[in-house]
Amino acid sequence: MKLNKISVVVVQSIFVLFAAAPLIFGFGYALLYSFGLIGVLNEGFTIVHWERLLFESNFWGTLLFSLVVALVTMGLSLFFALLVVVAWYKNLERGALSYIVYLPLAFPGVVMAFYTFQLLSKSGFLSRLLYNLGITNGLNDFPDLINDAYGIGIIFSLLLLITPFFILLYANMYRNERIQELTELASTLGAKPIQITLKVVLPVLLKKSAFTIVLFVIFVMGTYEIPLLLGRQNPSMFSPFVINKLQKFNLNDIPQAYAISILYILLIALLIGILFWKLRGLFIERATT
Amino acid sequence: MKKLNVLLLFLLSLLLVACGKSEKSPSSAQLEKLTWEQIEATASGSTVNMMMWAGDPKINAYVQNYIAPAVKEQYNIDLKTVNGQGNNIVQLLMTEKQAGKKSNIDMMWINGETFYQLRQIKGLYGPFVDRLPNSQLIDLENPFIGLDFQEPIKGMEAPWGNVQMTLIYNSEKVKQLPQTRADLLAYVKKYPGTFTFDNQFTGLTFMKALLIDIAGGKDALAGNYDAAAYKKYAPQLWSYLRDLRPYLWKKGEVFPENVAQMHQLFASGELYFTMSNNDAEVDNKINEGLFQEYARAYVPDFGTIQNSHYLGIPGNAVDKAAAMVVINFMISPEAQLKKQSPEVWGDGTVLNMDKLTESMQARFLNSTDRKFSPKRKDIQDKALMEIAPQYMINLADDFRKEIINK
Amino acid sequence: MEIAWVVHRKGYDMKKMLQLFFAISIVFPVFFLAVLSFGKNWTYPDLLPSTLNAANWAAIVKLDTGLFQSFLTSLCISVFVGVGSTALSFITSKFIAYSRYRSIFILIAYLPYVIAPVILAATLQYYFIVLDLAGSIGGVLLAQFFIAYPFGVIILNNFWNHKIRAIEELAATLGATKRQLWLKVLLPISKTALLLCFFQTFLISWFEYGLTSVIGLGVVKTLSINVFGFVNEANIFYAALASCLLIAPPMVLIWFNKRYIFSTDTVS
Repeated sequence: MKLNKISVVVVQSIFVLFAAAPLIFGFGYALLYSFGLIGVLNEGFTIVHWERLLFESNFWGTLLFSLVVALVTMGLSLFFALLVVVAWYKNLERGALSYIVYLPLAFPGVVMAFYTFQLLSKSGFLSRLLYNLGITNGLNDFPDLINDAYGIGIIFSLLLLITPFFILLYANMYRNERIQELTELASTLGAKPIQITLKVVLPVLLKKSAFTIVLFVIFVMGTYEIPLLLGRQNPSMFSPFVINKLQKFNLNDIPQAYAISILYILLIALLIGILFWKLRGLFIERATT
Repeated sequence: MKKLNVLLLFLLSLLLVACGKSEKSPSSAQLEKLTWEQIEATASGSTVNMMMWAGDPKINAYVQNYIAPAVKEQYNIDLKTVNGQGNNIVQLLMTEKQAGKKSNIDMMWINGETFYQLRQIKGLYGPFVDRLPNSQLIDLENPFIGLDFQEPIKGMEAPWGNVQMTLIYNSEKVKQLPQTRADLLAYVKKYPGTFTFDNQFTGLTFMKALLIDIAGGKDALAGNYDAAAYKKYAPQLWSYLRDLRPYLWKKGEVFPENVAQMHQLFASGELYFTMSNNDAEVDNKINEGLFQEYARAYVPDFGTIQNSHYLGIPGNAVDKAAAMVVINFMISPEAQLKKQSPEVWGDGTVLNMDKLTESMQARFLNSTDRKFSPKRKDIQDKALMEIAPQYMINLADDFRKEIINK
Repeated sequence: MEIAWVVHRKGYDMKKMLQLFFAISIVFPVFFLAVLSFGKNWTYPDLLPSTLNAANWAAIVKLDTGLFQSFLTSLCISVFVGVGSTALSFITSKFIAYSRYRSIFILIAYLPYVIAPVILAATLQYYFIVLDLAGSIGGVLLAQFFIAYPFGVIILNNFWNHKIRAIEELAATLGATKRQLWLKVLLPISKTALLLCFFQTFLISWFEYGLTSVIGLGVVKTLSINVFGFVNEANIFYAALASCLLIAPPMVLIWFNKRYIFSTDTVS
């Protein structure tokens, strides 16, 4: 029908306008700027900014640090979430715990970071508690958990945000994938609880959530507010690194900020592309149902 | 169906247009021809966005709770503050210039290397200072006021206030005050983890004082930027800082992001020293209840930088007339007197006492004095003039390269 | 037998204690922020602020702090973004879901969703300035829309499955017009999904800081901008207060939407 065709074109245009176009335009601007083709202080095509970024700046350290923080955070988060769901499944279905675990979803990164800072800094709540309990003798006995080299504060803050989400995800999956029945079945076939957990429950949950897990790794790598408050300059994570180069450091570093943005976008696009390719079976199946 | 889409898009675009900026103020060329009365008339009903460093609650309160209501009442101008300083401002104006657009900012609190960079990109409106009636009262002869980082201001920015940097210390823990670089090194070795500096404006100002000291003191780096001098003395500065580093807070592996954070660390007892560009800071903070009464401030023998801070107007600002009116108010004797009080800010005035009325002079002389901070006349002889902007730009860059990233 | 019972009992107690600890650790942040928001001085090593009164909260009403205005600004923006992106993505996701190129559309939609909003905003700032949208509420709204709309498409993508298709075909054979189809058939059955979509997109906008500060230039003051402002001022009490305001609406929304958030009908 002609009307239908027009509708389709309109819809496609809307989608392109609001979903694809911003990315393309942003990418284009960043590309041109990073090669010196636009920009008030730029003078024409050059690769010097890329050289400076890749060889002189702290780009690789930032990349590595972001990746490590993301993997450690996800690893710990999954560990705790799975532990809680497998051990306390019944309490998550009904009762106080089933409500309480939703609470952290109401917290944005800013607030969690602020809370973590007030909790874990040398003059924070935990330090004061330990001092009042006689465990430490003052500020300096308390370890450096904030603005430290390992991103402990950052990881802690992210854990508080992410673990509840996965607890809820897995609790729901547990119910919908009928894990309870599977475990009972395995049990009647003679499997021990540990075997059931490791060979039945975990594989099902992890496989089903693989996509979400990778998504979250990407999210954590690009987090901004948390490392802004809890991180340090060296090493820093992607987003604060980009914004600092853009607004705070030497004005001549601005093209580098755009170069990093390009690399970051390409990296993410690659990861998403790989993810889709690996799961394409899933998508073809969905499209035809 | 299609209609619904179109309608939605239409509504959205209406919303955007309605919420965008409006332009009804006179252009720069027109502005030149107006008298002051006409400027005040044009300014009425405008909104002025002022970009300023928002890291001090007292200064924020002064601007938001004293200046803003006053200009609203007297001139019907809405003053709004926006957080931003230094390179943040320059990058924004650069992008706006590149886009050929009017600026979202109408006036900004700047000095030194920001002034220099803005002039480089021709981002400032002016000269405008002479057109402000109150500018007649400014002490432009004073080199600490008429020169901004060794550059004559030439009417492109209006002097607003004047401060001298001091080191704040815990008088209960620190009995012997470090007066030289060697003293400081000995101190940090004796009390590791109790001293540091931030990696923004205040820390860099401290480093400049050290650099001047290394170069030979007072006017050693006066005049235009001398690349050879920088090449000669900067490495010595980095070497000195590397000596200090292991004994600094967190072993010098991380530096506080801003001076507010340092003040918090000082207040909680983690640091025995903090620093401030404002010599009246100790009174402010004790007043606020942040510092306890053991806090004192001093200037070491190698001196600290005294400088003025200014107000500028972007070249492509929308409400230039209104900005000029607000600035004129901010340099008026009343406003300057108000902010000199340590209960409000403790910022030094830029006005020439001789040019004020006798009653006004008396009020300035009798205004509340500092209780805990050093009096300006006591530290004036150790005041160092700001050095050329390129030094600070290089210091900021090299500090990251030589110290933070190593 | 008795020993086994004791061990079982101890295990049970242990479990209860751990769960209690777990619950407390989740609820503690809210409690902590609330207490801090009422405080004035918190010198080391006190566990509680030395002054606790309602002065900070009273200041909101007095409109001194700009918190009330920020709250309204945030609310305004987030409701618009939520409603707008839910509506638009509901309509467009139908065509996308039934299209041959569904996977490609969804793939493209994922990119603005996963990319850090602040970095996307940094690359787009120039365009917003050119279009006179930077530093305006409309600009921030549009920028947030760029990340909320694709997300809406992703969430609602799974709504259009074979069951819904069957219902549509049934409605068609029964003689329903397009208008009737949308208003009387699809809208009612999609209520849950739409609610969830609104909830999620509202939160994306409500929580956003980086993008808002880059596009809004600090002129558009939302609650999250305020929190950061207070933190930079080292005013932890006002920061705690702003944080409380920031988490209150989401807590309310979550309470009402709890049932729908993770149900498989609506989440991919």
